Amino acid sequence: MCLAPLFAFGVSAAVPDYLTEVKPLLTRNCVPCHGAEQPKAGLRLDTAAGARKGGESGAALRPGAPSESLMFRLLSGGHDGVDPMPYRRPPLGTAEIARIGAWIAAGAVAPADEAPGVFRHWAFVAPVRPPVPRAVEGTHPIDAFILAGLEAAGMRPSPSAPAATRLRRVALDLVGLPPEPGDIASFEADPSDGAYRRRVEALLASRHHGERWGRWWLDAARYADSNGYSVDAPRSMWPYRDWVVEALNRDLPFDRFVTEQLAGDLIPGATVSQRVATGFHRNTQINQEGGVDPEQFRIESVFDRVATTGTVLMGLSVGCAQCHDHKFDPLTQRDYYGLFAFLNDQEEPTMEVPGTEVVTEDRKGRRPATTLVLAERATPRETRRYVKGDFTRPAEPVPPGTPAALPPMRGVAEGRRANRLDLAHWLVSPGNPLLARVTVNRVWQVYFGRGLVETENDFGTQGTPPTHPELLDWLAVEFMESGWSLKHLHRLIATSEAYQRSSKWRPDLADVDARNLMLARQSRLRLDAEWIRDVALVAGGLLDRTVGGPPVFPPQPDGLGAFTQNSRPWKASAGGERHRRGIYTSLQRSTLHPALAVFDAPDTFTACTRRLRSNTPLQALTLLNDAQFHEIATALGRRMSAGPGAVERRIADGFLRCTGRRPGAEETSRLAALHAAELGAGAAEEAAWTAVGRVLLNLDETINRE
Amino acid sequence: MNETLNPEDRLAQTTRRHFFSRCAMGLGGMALGSLLADGASTEPLSARRGHHRPKAKSVIFLFMAGGPSQLELFDHKPRLNELSGQPIPDSLIEGKRFAFMDSSFKNKSTLLGTRRKFRQHGGSGAWVSDLYPHTAGVVDDLAILKTCATDLFNHAPAKLFMNTGSGQFGRPSMGAWTTYGIGSESRDLPGFVVLQSGPRGPRGGAVNWSSGFLPTVHQGVPLRGTGDPILNLGNPPGVSADSQRRVLDTLGGLNLRRAAETGDPEIATRIAAYEMAYRMQSSAPELMDLKGESESTLALYGCEREKPSFARNCLLARRLVERGVRFVQLYHTNWDSHGGPGETLEDDLARVCRETDRGCAALVRDLKSRGLLDEVLVVWGGEFGRTPMGETREKTGRNHHIDAFTMWFAGAGIRPGQVIGETDELGFGPVSDRAHVHDIHATLLHLLGLDHTRLTYRFQGRDYRLTDISGELITRLMA
Repeated sequence: MCLAPLFAFGVSAAVPDYLTEVKPLLTRNCVPCHGAEQPKAGLRLDTAAGARKGGESGAALRPGAPSESLMFRLLSGGHDGVDPMPYRRPPLGTAEIARIGAWIAAGAVAPADEAPGVFRHWAFVAPVRPPVPRAVEGTHPIDAFILAGLEAAGMRPSPSAPAATRLRRVALDLVGLPPEPGDIASFEADPSDGAYRRRVEALLASRHHGERWGRWWLDAARYADSNGYSVDAPRSMWPYRDWVVEALNRDLPFDRFVTEQLAGDLIPGATVSQRVATGFHRNTQINQEGGVDPEQFRIESVFDRVATTGTVLMGLSVGCAQCHDHKFDPLTQRDYYGLFAFLNDQEEPTMEVPGTEVVTEDRKGRRPATTLVLAERATPRETRRYVKGDFTRPAEPVPPGTPAALPPMRGVAEGRRANRLDLAHWLVSPGNPLLARVTVNRVWQVYFGRGLVETENDFGTQGTPPTHPELLDWLAVEFMESGWSLKHLHRLIATSEAYQRSSKWRPDLADVDARNLMLARQSRLRLDAEWIRDVALVAGGLLDRTVGGPPVFPPQPDGLGAFTQNSRPWKASAGGERHRRGIYTSLQRSTLHPALAVFDAPDTFTACTRRLRSNTPLQALTLLNDAQFHEIATALGRRMSAGPGAVERRIADGFLRCTGRRPGAEETSRLAALHAAELGAGAAEEAAWTAVGRVLLNLDETINRE
Repeated sequence: MNETLNPEDRLAQTTRRHFFSRCAMGLGGMALGSLLADGASTEPLSARRGHHRPKAKSVIFLFMAGGPSQLELFDHKPRLNELSGQPIPDSLIEGKRFAFMDSSFKNKSTLLGTRRKFRQHGGSGAWVSDLYPHTAGVVDDLAILKTCATDLFNHAPAKLFMNTGSGQFGRPSMGAWTTYGIGSESRDLPGFVVLQSGPRGPRGGAVNWSSGFLPTVHQGVPLRGTGDPILNLGNPPGVSADSQRRVLDTLGGLNLRRAAETGDPEIATRIAAYEMAYRMQSSAPELMDLKGESESTLALYGCEREKPSFARNCLLARRLVERGVRFVQLYHTNWDSHGGPGETLEDDLARVCRETDRGCAALVRDLKSRGLLDEVLVVWGGEFGRTPMGETREKTGRNHHIDAFTMWFAGAGIRPGQVIGETDELGFGPVSDRAHVHDIHATLLHLLGLDHTRLTYRFQGRDYRLTDISGELITRLMA
């Protein structure tokens, strides 16, 4: 049990550095009560000197002796009738307490000229490529870092997963679709490294890769096909969605991917595509309710743009500084309105997209599709700080500017007002410590279920420190130096041993690393809402693989509109449109398609950088009874019913299509028994096979990536 | 309750006990003991104690969507009647913002008296108008709070504010916070249930009962008045109950094998979720089936067994709390009395009052006669109230008003038979006992045994609460 604290905050066992590793903890947990203003018990913990000086109960720490240091004892539990600290709050993690203890034990060293509130937070220092730990010749760099950590913790890695598992895993992670039975068989026949790498290359080259990873980005971009708020009228925004899919398919360098979305319209000679990209910050809601103050809701959308920019591109809860200086991170309210000023100077036009076509409202003709974009105003608006974030209380004017605690913006000539393009260039500059780290972490999160920094949207002092800080920095620098190639990053991760390991639970790790932070094994991860249906559609042979175009309307239960303000009819699509990939399902903010919502699809109101993976009875009802899933089960049943060979062989075929592996003998016999029981109860042949199909589509294994 | 865990850990934690308590027996009790070693786990919806001894076991929140006019129902203002038609004293509206500001202020709207007849009722002598005669009959069971205040004056944000303590989307609603805090006592039904009646759904829809950043298991589940009460509750066409059971048994067996093979505790949770789903397939229709309710009960509520109505939802709310459901919310539209078509104070307000009055009063009486009022908290109110000045559209109406509006509370932990809070002589603002939405939330959680400052969830680097950084208990409200 107590091994965990020794390594949970990083693989090095060196003395914790006060400014980067200890002070942030004290700032977060202690300074709220023991700061400059009315310190409780007369004790200030905003500097190490303050802790040494102590308060009403004497010195809070004795260098070299954690067990005689009051603060350490109170952090570890109550003492002499004094309540455990933090007062009436959950205790610090054992790793965190151990870190403070280790710092005290080593003499509680801190700079002599230390000032309150000033600390060097790791995430605000630009990453430098660390040396790869020494390892056996030919070891993948990622594995060198992971194995070093495992070795330091005395843990051995799990073996590679079976070939079929690895193939399904990498197919789902790279394109969101399961492998075909033929490909599974050929990979099982030759599961060599070379064969695996060829699969990875083919998947990266697939046009479906952009759909799978486009969805990843659209979560963060809070993409939807309706305006939100109470009226929630439909909007045409899909050209932006298609831009994202296409950009990822051609591996548009990520720095340009970001620049075009933030400020494509300001790039000299901006192309149509670059202007479509600015839809990123048009994914805000629009309030069409009667009687609202339009300026209020325009400002709301700018607030959302600032918060999204912070969360997605900086990994910081910038939104906290809307009303007041950030309580924990070095972000002032003025910094906030400096960012706000960049995003406050736009018109919000609707643009026709040449080369696209949709049917007109009267269904008689065709016209170009439209999409929402940004366009810079001729004269900038004056941005003022709002007292307590209340737009009715404007205070002093604030020019565009970046937070003072981060590296300064360069290349803006004296006297020129900085604009969104400057902001984009600043975000993607190699000196910016955040964008590359935040991005590789969010990519990593998809492959392992958790980021190297678990709080993927908070790299500030309230976030959790990285489990593998050197690996994070190595990946961030590698990502930038590869020309910001996301495909390079995907390839790198997907070909590591760590990624290909078995996800089997290990009793020997239960006590030392129950949460698998050290990555001795892979994790079983439930598929995202869209892929659950996509996988089923492939198994049933129904998927329409068309890429791009206007949103579609797969069937949903009747009467959903009864619970929204404006009940809009949902006319189910016919033909192939019924069976398009989930990314194309129309996203109505007030009534998300229930089969998406029930499996934790994001609500689209604000940026979502990590989906929850809940596990509820309503999910069971959806997969068992929902009309569209039953339609798929019927198709799968028909496929098995019409297949060649004995019952067992057809069962194996269906099983393989759903789970990516052949069933064991007992699994087959259970399904065969069901088939026989259905027939025995008077079911027709196809109906009996539908029952088998229903089981297969509902298997936990089918909706998980193992 | 471990508040520091992230959602996935909480979910993972659910598994072991859940598995043993609920489904191991149903599946023939395969020996997985070595695999699923029991830990100190709780499943997310299992009933548990909060921070202190609760007064209320469950809540029924009657949400009057659109903003009911307190000046037509509970806040009796003779002086407003005297000054009806006169301009608003500038001192009262200076610096304030209202919905439809442009149109209401360009032609400087005037004060509007009410045409309703007010009378004092019960031992408490509470004023109630002739629009709410049944409610007037139970005033001695109510605590009427006339000085409620909110921050936002447009419907969708204000509804969110009343439900989640924030006008921003993405925060958990009070029902979700409640089941997050103390789970639910129902094994066969969701812990947080939403019922709806009236011409349309509440603005904003599902975000009003959202689980926000809490795990989805805490989200409100809408029960529908007709058809399947829960989406996808019925077996697909052509699938018999026996076949469904066989499918579930085969599925459970295969999933259990996979659990043993991979050791993933999430599989046990999923097996349990399928068993709960199966129980819901029978428990939810049983809930909606009012055959067992006597004629006199139906007469009390004034509802029919089959036909959806607010009164029928009130009766269903009683049946839900009887079955251990923790938080029940009833939405009824449309209270938005601006004076336009369908929204007049003259006719439409009277209609929406008729639709709701009897059901509300019947619910209080019914709970009381069954001894349930001691453990169920009933709350009545909307997202805001309405202005003392009138608005003339087709007929007369009133605008949205956020500074003083009326809610009432009854049941567990409430001191009944009292009127709390006085507004100024025209009803613009409170002169005593201002009760902000955060205070109402704090009090509600308190009655459920939860300390609103300690019911937190870490998200995006911050500990979030239903009450944000505010909230004082409304002590006068409580027994």
